[in-house]
Order: sequence, then C-alpha cells, then structure tokens
Amino acid sequence: MVETSYYIALAGILFSIGAVGFLMRRSVIQMFLCVELMLNSANLVLVAFARAWGNLEAQTAVFIILTLAAAEVAIGLGIIVAIFRKRVSTNVDDLSGLKG
Amino acid sequence: MIVFVLLSLLAIAGALGTILWKNAVYSALSLVGTLLALACIFVTLEAQFLASVQVIVYAGAIMVLFLFVIMLLNAQYPSEDVDPLPWLSPVVIAGGVVLAGALAYTAFLYKAPKPLAEAAKALQGGAPGPVGETLFTKFLLPFEAVSLLLIIAVVGAVALVKREPEAKVQRETLEERATHTPEEVVV
Repeated sequence: MVETSYYIALAGILFSIGAVGFLMRRSVIQMFLCVELMLNSANLVLVAFARAWGNLEAQTAVFIILTLAAAEVAIGLGIIVAIFRKRVSTNVDDLSGLKG
Repeated sequence: MIVFVLLSLLAIAGALGTILWKNAVYSALSLVGTLLALACIFVTLEAQFLASVQVIVYAGAIMVLFLFVIMLLNAQYPSEDVDPLPWLSPVVIAGGVVLAGALAYTAFLYKAPKPLAEAAKALQGGAPGPVGETLFTKFLLPFEAVSLLLIIAVVGAVALVKREPEAKVQRETLEERATHTPEEVVV
C-alpha cells in the first residue's frame, strides 16, 4: 500500500499548479477550470486521510463537496454568460470596472 | 506503487495541460484527464463510490457544462491584447514551485495514526452502502442543507442568464384588423 504522504504530496502539487494557473491565465473560463483543479486536490487530501484513519466521514464530506462544486459551476458559468452578454469578452482585464 | 506513479504522472500532466493550453477547449479536456486519473486514484484509496461519482458528476456533467459554455460563448481563443502585467508570470511560477515544495515537504512530515492495512479495512472499500449510511445519519443536516443549496443554485442560475424582457411592442388585434378596409391593409 502506498503511504498517505505520497497522496498528500500529489495533492499539494496539483493545488500549486491550479493556483499558478489561476494567477497566470487571463481568460475567466480557464481561471474557473483552475479553481476546479484546486477543489479536486482538496478532495484527494480528504480521501487520503479517510483511509489513514479508517473513517468514512471524510468520504461523505467529499460527496457533499462534489454536490457543492456542481452548484458552484452552475452559478459561476451563469455569471460568466451574463457578463459576456454585457461586455462580449471573457478576458478578466476587460472586466475590471465595478459599474455595470 | 507503479500504479500510483503512473496515475499521478497522468494527473499532473493533465493539470499542466489545463493551465498551459491557450485553447480553452483543450484546457477543459486536459482537466477531464486529470479528473479521470483522480477517479482511478480514489479506487486505490478504497473509495469506489466516490470514484464512480467523480466520473459521472465531475468528468461527465460538470465538464460537459464547461465545454458547452466555452462553445456557446465562442471563447476558445484568448484575446490578442498585450499582457498588462508582464512580470507576473515568472513571479507566479516561482511562487507556485515554492508552494508545491512546501506542501510536499509538509506531507512527508505526516505520521500515520494507525497501521494502514488495518485502517483501510474499516472503510469496507468505500462502497455506496457504508457511505450512504454515514450520509443519512451523521451527515443528515449537511445533506438537507445541500439540497437547499442546489435549489438556490438552480434558481440563481436561471435568474442570472434570463434576458431582460423586451420593450412591449404594440400589436394589432384581430378586431382592429377587421375594421380596416381592404385598401388599407398593407400586404
């Protein structure tokens, strides 16, 4: 069996990649994809620790996080579509104004 | 160990693809690869139910929604504008490498609380039955809260993308039309 540490390290690397991508990309949709990546690395940590402790509660929490992610994506993409109708752009630099 | 190394390489490659492709469709498909690799890793972590849910909900439903929106908005390609912060990328990459190193280092400080084989046995393979039992006993309140959240999300998403009602157009009723003489009616 692979030790828990390796899984945590993998999750850390995935999280870092997601964070770097979030800061580097200028397209709203790609930034959103990076958020999903970070969310998934957090899920991986929970599942890895669930096995380390032999406790199913963390897995149940991951299930709830999955539901939450679905709701988040629905709202987030709705916001992106609504902004796109107003500005005809998905570049964050064009969306810096606070006044609609 | 070989399986883990292969799967993690696949996951990392997918993640790098997600952030490096210029085309958003390629990015989304790379993320699907990462999610599928993570689903396989979940199987090796005794979480079979979560692995299947990951494939169905994440790689299936959520990523399809992403691709749908990318193609709907025709947003595959980034705009050709000049980068307003040219110094940002090197700083961010350096920060990311430091963050990854720190997190990986911290991970190896972790001491297992009990023997792994013994703990893994208690999970019963993470089958739907045991997970569902936890969900409907200890996690009943979060479960209900999430159902409320989903309702709010659905209503919110519909409200966000709803178009403004168009200005009311004055339409001629049939009775008004009938009062016109045939010469007046414009064909």
